[in-house]
Amino acid sequence: MATSKPMPLATKISAPFWQALEQNELHIQQCNQCAGWVFFPRNHCTHCLAHDLEFKPVNGEGTLYSYTLTRIPTMPEFSDEMPQALAVVELSQGVRINTTLIDVAESDIKIGMAVKPVFDKVSTDGKTLLRFTSADNPGGVREYLDPLLNLERNEKGQVKVPVDNLSALYALADNTFTQWSNEFIVDQTLINDFAALSGDDYWLHTDVERAKTDSPFKTTIAHGSLVQVLQSRLTIALPFEIVGFQTMVNYGSNRLRFPAPVPSGSTIHGRSKVKDISVSHKGVQLTLEMNIHVVGNDKPSVINDLVILYR
Amino acid sequence: MGLRGNAAIVGAAQYKPEKYQTAPQMFHLEQVADLAHKALVDAGLHKSDLDGLVINGPHFHEASVFVPAMAAEYLGIEVNFAEVVDLGGCTAVAQVWRAAMAIEMGLCQAVLCVIPARMAPLGPTEDPAWMAQAMRFGGHSTAFGAPEAEFDLPYGHMGQNTGYAMIAQRYAAQYGYDNSAMAKIAVDQRFNAQYHKDAIFNGKSLSIEDVLASKLVADPLHVLEIVMPVAGGAAVIVASKELAARAKKRPAFVTGFGERLSFKSPSYAKEMTVTPVAEAAKRAFAMSGLTPKDIHAAQIYDCYTITVLLSLEDAGFVPKGEGQRFIKEHNLTFKGDFPLNTHGGQLSFGQSAAAGGYSQVIEAFDQISHSAQERQLKSCDNMFVSGTGGVMSEQGALILQGG
Repeated sequence: MATSKPMPLATKISAPFWQALEQNELHIQQCNQCAGWVFFPRNHCTHCLAHDLEFKPVNGEGTLYSYTLTRIPTMPEFSDEMPQALAVVELSQGVRINTTLIDVAESDIKIGMAVKPVFDKVSTDGKTLLRFTSADNPGGVREYLDPLLNLERNEKGQVKVPVDNLSALYALADNTFTQWSNEFIVDQTLINDFAALSGDDYWLHTDVERAKTDSPFKTTIAHGSLVQVLQSRLTIALPFEIVGFQTMVNYGSNRLRFPAPVPSGSTIHGRSKVKDISVSHKGVQLTLEMNIHVVGNDKPSVINDLVILYR
Repeated sequence: MGLRGNAAIVGAAQYKPEKYQTAPQMFHLEQVADLAHKALVDAGLHKSDLDGLVINGPHFHEASVFVPAMAAEYLGIEVNFAEVVDLGGCTAVAQVWRAAMAIEMGLCQAVLCVIPARMAPLGPTEDPAWMAQAMRFGGHSTAFGAPEAEFDLPYGHMGQNTGYAMIAQRYAAQYGYDNSAMAKIAVDQRFNAQYHKDAIFNGKSLSIEDVLASKLVADPLHVLEIVMPVAGGAAVIVASKELAARAKKRPAFVTGFGERLSFKSPSYAKEMTVTPVAEAAKRAFAMSGLTPKDIHAAQIYDCYTITVLLSLEDAGFVPKGEGQRFIKEHNLTFKGDFPLNTHGGQLSFGQSAAAGGYSQVIEAFDQISHSAQERQLKSCDNMFVSGTGGVMSEQGALILQGG
């Protein structure tokens, strides 16, 4: 599962830090030469510049060095955290960490207060961010809560996602495909009809006899644009329905490709996945990647990144 | 150590701050030439006098490398000294002292210091959305391996507002926080802007109540305590004493400077509320032989009200922790007993990206050269100017004196 918030990309240098967080431990670097502690992860000590830093487990106890509560989100993706409790925590080792406070009432936040770490699981695959809470709170692990879990479902069993529920919307962009749709046969009659309708009667689509010898596929093939519009013949069971919007606009396509041919007489089917959710002043933009394949062929015949705007 | 005061600002040019949507669009090279011409006219000098160039590198539209060579070629000049400065809002102050130093070292006699900050025209295939996308993360790098991309952005730490807000919150915890004193900084400066026809907020008065009633952006900062980005651009000519003697206006000699870069994110400061200008100003005053008491006006970089408070304290104008009381007890307008940002500051003049820092430099020059019109101070010989880049990351100080 993915979120549209910016996520950390671990480097070779920082990977031990992120791996430790996934194990619900905080590891920060200490210099073997001068014993100085260092954060964020580097290869060289900020105290003596020696290339001799070692990750060590620490308990994560510290104090709140400073904070602010945002009244305007720093990025639109953080609208679901308002007010963001952006914080700087000073660990007992003396290093400071940019983080956010969770589970502390606004009026209880005091600079200098004792804090402890919370290992916040932000994805189903265990990605973990380091947040902090008051030392009086339990702390520990905050399990990933699927924002789709407690939403209502419609009569088709689809989860109903309100257009203003950002965390649920982001959770839709999970990079997994739906089940395959029904199958549909693209026969020569249909191809001929489309040739007549569109005016594209190129022999590769319509001349069955010539195609036997001249076509690289030894047969006629369907127009790419025919297969593209046949998506309307394929019923794809999206696991969700977006609700609560004023208007839904088909914004067009971000990408349209025809990587593999559909020979005349082929059976096709399709599937889709949510590729991206983004929020702007224009509304919520959902990018749905629609793939149509010849049954049995791993390579898609159509890739279409459909953009739908809700507002 | 330092300068002998043998180089001076002798001419200046500055575009009137305008909203990006309505400002003229010009290539940066064209702006450089236009600002250079206007500044030379202001100085009464000629293009052939120029033999040095200091320019901004980041955000230069037509090139990201070889910027000085491209600009010098466009201007049709050859130079003995070429420099790119990448210090955000501290760039203006930093350009001036680098020019003065090159002159005192004998490298050159007249240096063009310039920052274009109007938008360039978009090419036929350029997408206006590209600009918005490029600006999305502000001064935060999103490059793979950039610490802020990895350790700040995932938590929502982004942009300048929240960094300055956290500095203000820590100040509040250490020394107390008086919202109305902070608002008074913006209000007194707005008064000054009523006497500068180019200020973006000229003709719009402001009260402490207005500031405190404006929207909170990040506690404790209100929107009217934060600069408004505008299109603009500025240049000054820094020249040797000999050339300055030929200039039309009274020169502003650079008699002291300091520069200090302490961190990128204030979270990693030794102490968040002790700002780099402390070291920079100490050096600048020592070099010039002046003390804060000798200063006739302080032109303090003011991206936020908190920047002004901390700069006043750390530059030595008022003891640490007493800034808010000082602000309430003094009239900070050009008519008052402690003239501060006599052009309105960037809070009321507008912040034209890195060129915004020149609004303070040029106001100091205007005061010294008796060009400040209705805002003209009677005592106008000794000016303090500061610059601030990033989130108090890098700061500079200049002492300018009339000769």
